[in-house]
Amino acid sequence: MSELAVEMRNVWKVYPDGTIALRGVDFSVRKGEIHGLLGENGAGKTTLMRILYGEIRPSRGEIRVFGRKVSFRGPWDAVKNGIGMVYQHFSLIPSFTVLENLYLSLTSIKKGISIDYVRKLANEIMSKVGFEVPLDAKVEGLAIGVQQRVEILKTLMRNAKILILDEPTSVLTPIEVEELFKTLIRLKRLGITIIFISHKLKEVKRITDRVTVLRKGRVVGVVDTREVNEADLAKMMVGREVFLRLKKAPISPKEPILVVEDLWVKDDRGLDAVRGISLTLKKGEILGIAGIQGNGQRELAEAIAGLRPVIRGRILLENEDITNLPPYLRYRKGLSYIPDSRSVGLILDLNVISNSILTKLRDFVGKGTTILWSKAREFAGSLTRRFNVVVESLNTPVKYLSGGNQQKLMVGREVAVLPKVIVASEPTHGLDVSATEYIRSLLIKLREMGVAILLISSDLDEILQLSDRIAVIYEGKIMAIGKPQDFTLEKLGLLMGGVKVE
Amino acid sequence: MEIIESLIDLVFLAFTSMVPLLLGAIGEIINERSGVVNIGIEGIFLLSALTSTIVNYFTNNLGLALLTGVVTGMAIGSLHGLISTYLRGDQIVAGVGLNVFAYGMSVIALVTIWGTFGNSPSVSTIPKLKVFGHAVSPLVPTSIAVAVIVWYFLYKTGLGLRLRACGEDPKAAEAMGINVLRTRLLATIIGASLAGLGGSYLSIDWVGQFTKEISAGRGFIALANVAFSNWNPLTAILGAFIFGFFDALAIHLSIVSLQPALAYLFKIIPYLGTLAVVSIFFRRTRIPPALGKPYIKE
Amino acid sequence: MNKLSSLLRGWRLSEYVVIAVEVCGSIALGIGIATLLLYTLGFDPGKGITLLLGGGFTDLDYLLSRATFIMMTGLAFSIPLMAGLFNIGGEGQMYLGGLVSLLTAIYTGNLFLALIAGGIAGLTLGLFIAVLRVYRGVNEVISSIMLNWTLYYLTIYLVTNTFYDPLAPHESIKVPQSARLGLISIGDFKLHIIFPISLVFILLAYFVLYHTKIGFEIRASGLAPKAAKYAGLNPERAMIYAMCLGGFFGGIAGSLNVLGFTYYIDTLLTTMYGMGFDGIGVALMGRGHPIGIVFSSVFFSMLIIGGQSMQMVLNAPKEVADALSGIIIMALALPYVYRMALSYLRARRMIAHGDH
Repeated sequence: MSELAVEMRNVWKVYPDGTIALRGVDFSVRKGEIHGLLGENGAGKTTLMRILYGEIRPSRGEIRVFGRKVSFRGPWDAVKNGIGMVYQHFSLIPSFTVLENLYLSLTSIKKGISIDYVRKLANEIMSKVGFEVPLDAKVEGLAIGVQQRVEILKTLMRNAKILILDEPTSVLTPIEVEELFKTLIRLKRLGITIIFISHKLKEVKRITDRVTVLRKGRVVGVVDTREVNEADLAKMMVGREVFLRLKKAPISPKEPILVVEDLWVKDDRGLDAVRGISLTLKKGEILGIAGIQGNGQRELAEAIAGLRPVIRGRILLENEDITNLPPYLRYRKGLSYIPDSRSVGLILDLNVISNSILTKLRDFVGKGTTILWSKAREFAGSLTRRFNVVVESLNTPVKYLSGGNQQKLMVGREVAVLPKVIVASEPTHGLDVSATEYIRSLLIKLREMGVAILLISSDLDEILQLSDRIAVIYEGKIMAIGKPQDFTLEKLGLLMGGVKVE
Repeated sequence: MEIIESLIDLVFLAFTSMVPLLLGAIGEIINERSGVVNIGIEGIFLLSALTSTIVNYFTNNLGLALLTGVVTGMAIGSLHGLISTYLRGDQIVAGVGLNVFAYGMSVIALVTIWGTFGNSPSVSTIPKLKVFGHAVSPLVPTSIAVAVIVWYFLYKTGLGLRLRACGEDPKAAEAMGINVLRTRLLATIIGASLAGLGGSYLSIDWVGQFTKEISAGRGFIALANVAFSNWNPLTAILGAFIFGFFDALAIHLSIVSLQPALAYLFKIIPYLGTLAVVSIFFRRTRIPPALGKPYIKE
Repeated sequence: MNKLSSLLRGWRLSEYVVIAVEVCGSIALGIGIATLLLYTLGFDPGKGITLLLGGGFTDLDYLLSRATFIMMTGLAFSIPLMAGLFNIGGEGQMYLGGLVSLLTAIYTGNLFLALIAGGIAGLTLGLFIAVLRVYRGVNEVISSIMLNWTLYYLTIYLVTNTFYDPLAPHESIKVPQSARLGLISIGDFKLHIIFPISLVFILLAYFVLYHTKIGFEIRASGLAPKAAKYAGLNPERAMIYAMCLGGFFGGIAGSLNVLGFTYYIDTLLTTMYGMGFDGIGVALMGRGHPIGIVFSSVFFSMLIIGGQSMQMVLNAPKEVADALSGIIIMALALPYVYRMALSYLRARRMIAHGDH
């Protein structure tokens, strides 16, 4: 039993609103291994680890760390027991320096240490593990990969013997992923136990020793990584055969409908996010923008939708210059934007009817400025029927709908009036497999009807499945455009990581 | 010559006036830096002025009375702190409620203890220092010293760094092992105690009695000072002096002017002056990003 | 009936339960502390609370008329709140509205003009606060309170020095008969017309908020500014409109008070003092919804009048009612507590039954 670094037994988590995230999960990790925790979005992986880290309290269950029974009241207890966690979204204070952040995190365990001590310790550990971070730089100015290293350094400085990484590669370029894996192997050699949460089959297969697969809050299986292949893992994760290919009619390209000329757009921090991008989108085609999140895709989408000012360049819709038009006029002219976040595309506290007309208000306003609620109600009704949105009543506030239904409502709203151009940002993000398939086939159907779609997605499989042409974006520039057949996965990965290949 | 004398009088009067504006602002900077906004400073001023007058009246012990004011502030700070942290309440609404309650309580106390709706009887005040022939309360240099100490604490110590972290990014702070809720609660208690000190100053140091108008909006001017000073205790000293100067001007003009009716117009000066200063000196202020939002763990 | 049932079905039943618990819980807490207060002050808490809660019903007309003003100041707080702004300036907006309507009545003798002038005066104040906030970043809590005090002294100055009634120097010139809002009779019962008028304004507010584009913009911007921008709405414009609306109703509160109830302003502003702050409590207890505000304003009015009768009969200070309102407001700041408690109970029940 002392071989086990972590042992969790019969863990349940029930949320105040009734959702059950974990149902009697048993989870154990051997000392010094890299253990993968695999599952789709919503399977419960993050929840389970947050319980281990003391962030959430389990509704029921027993936890043992290095053989000792524990009950954490908060992360500080977990840290004292040698557990360190690196989240997807880092817990660093952006306006403080790296050293200040490290100092803060250390003083919670050891009182009365000096900032010089922190510097010394940091340098020691960095040489032992073999990577580097600039101690005196402000966190907000560092690349994501570097910030992640700061997080790892933080946990090591706090004497972490168990390291939990939550989807660590989702924000990294392929090169940074390689660096991370090298670091993890070095850590393993130093005796650190690693729990690697992911939904990416290839990575799990590559780096882990054993894998626990969760589905809908239950353990589906615990396997030795060498004894399974990716298809086995996928089946366990999803519970059925996954069809990775969608039927798609060949494209007959028509005339261009959306033209972007030498576009320059700044991000929220005032830095250039889009640097001279030019694109042509044709009717009836899906142009997929592939790239890691944070390379300017969102700013590009927002500029096209009219939510972000353009510094230089033009946007033409059907040969008309819309560069300076406000969003509602663009929507009127047939442009539709599906944002990557449901908290932007929907107003969660308002009901289904209000959300159904959110981007089309002017069509539902009568003389004066009165809202025609009966007309809106009819529209909302038709939306929910056509797009399979399950609601108790049209007056239900949208926040009570499941994520999948919310997404379907948002997508349906933008698609229902058959726009000419759709800019879809991460349209299936966070959805379960059936909702994902539904939306993807919907996009294909629209394409067949002649709608032009600009698809932005960090999910390479999605891009490859749906796109007629692919453009790779890196640091605000288009690295390459071509047909899917022109790219191998490896080439895509390199391009996404900023390496120009011929 | 006379003008210079009046000016010097004004300056000293401004020093007198600035104490509660400074103490209230420093206290509020402490808790706002940690993420909690307390607009009930006005209520704290009233209630601590009240309690210290009561203690002073019955015991004639100034030290005890001053302490009572601070303790009153601590008690209210604990309540508001609890509401704003562990109970995840709405901080602005709670502050408004506090002010309404404090106003009601003041009058109740006046009526039940002294049987009047106006002023309490006069009580002795804290002995003053003599500076250039003017009487200056020891709390004036004290409050400035407090401001400097708090500045040092916030920017030069580890504890101050941790406190500021709670107001910058509470999730990150929590992940670093800082107990955000506890830090915020403590910050609110300390902040409110300083306001309590400012409140008792009003009654047992400056005016010498308790009336329900003893604060007259000073709590809100202190809030304006917080924003004006960009959450920096040193700048708050300057701000408190400026706002105190407006107050002094109003008082001075009503004494000096020959038309008593204009007194009401002069009283407007501190408020319009504060508004004007805050509107004109709009800089890219850096509000602590997490200010006013309850920190909710899962 | 179908519409009503589908409306109710839309919201989970639990939402209604939670709201009921919040409101009743806060009231219970307030009454509890008031009882304690009365007891420690040496008064009979039983008699005191009875008077506090019941005293309002002796004169229905007075109850409803008193409720009128805080209904309007309640709107003055709740509408900007929907857009995310804290308009504490209802007090000042009321003073200015009262003053301007008085002066307009005196100089034009026209009732309608005077009423609207008061509203417009309040609207201007609201607009000023909004502009300061949107274009200069001045926090509206500070600016509205500074304006409150400014207008307080300004009004007193003008009433004392310029517009006083020579026959009664503590009072202003009276509103001329032609510009007065009087009483109506319903059978044997005489009611000040200001109450029905305020109900009309409530309906107006409801209509604007829930049936017009600008109302939608206000609500959306307050709930989710990013999503509102995505929808093509403008949160900053929404803030300005909301403050204008709020200020308008604050000014109307003053107009109704002066033109329809007191017919003058006194030099201590006793007839209007504190109603702006009461309006905040009214808005909070009415959960920000115009219909809810109607009920909560009557409730608060009942408390205030009860306080007065408690003072007359028992000699207990009527400020106990103020203290009570303060406690209720603070208790209403805790919505999460009630939700937490209810959901905690529900979660325990689910685990105990081993739900799947």
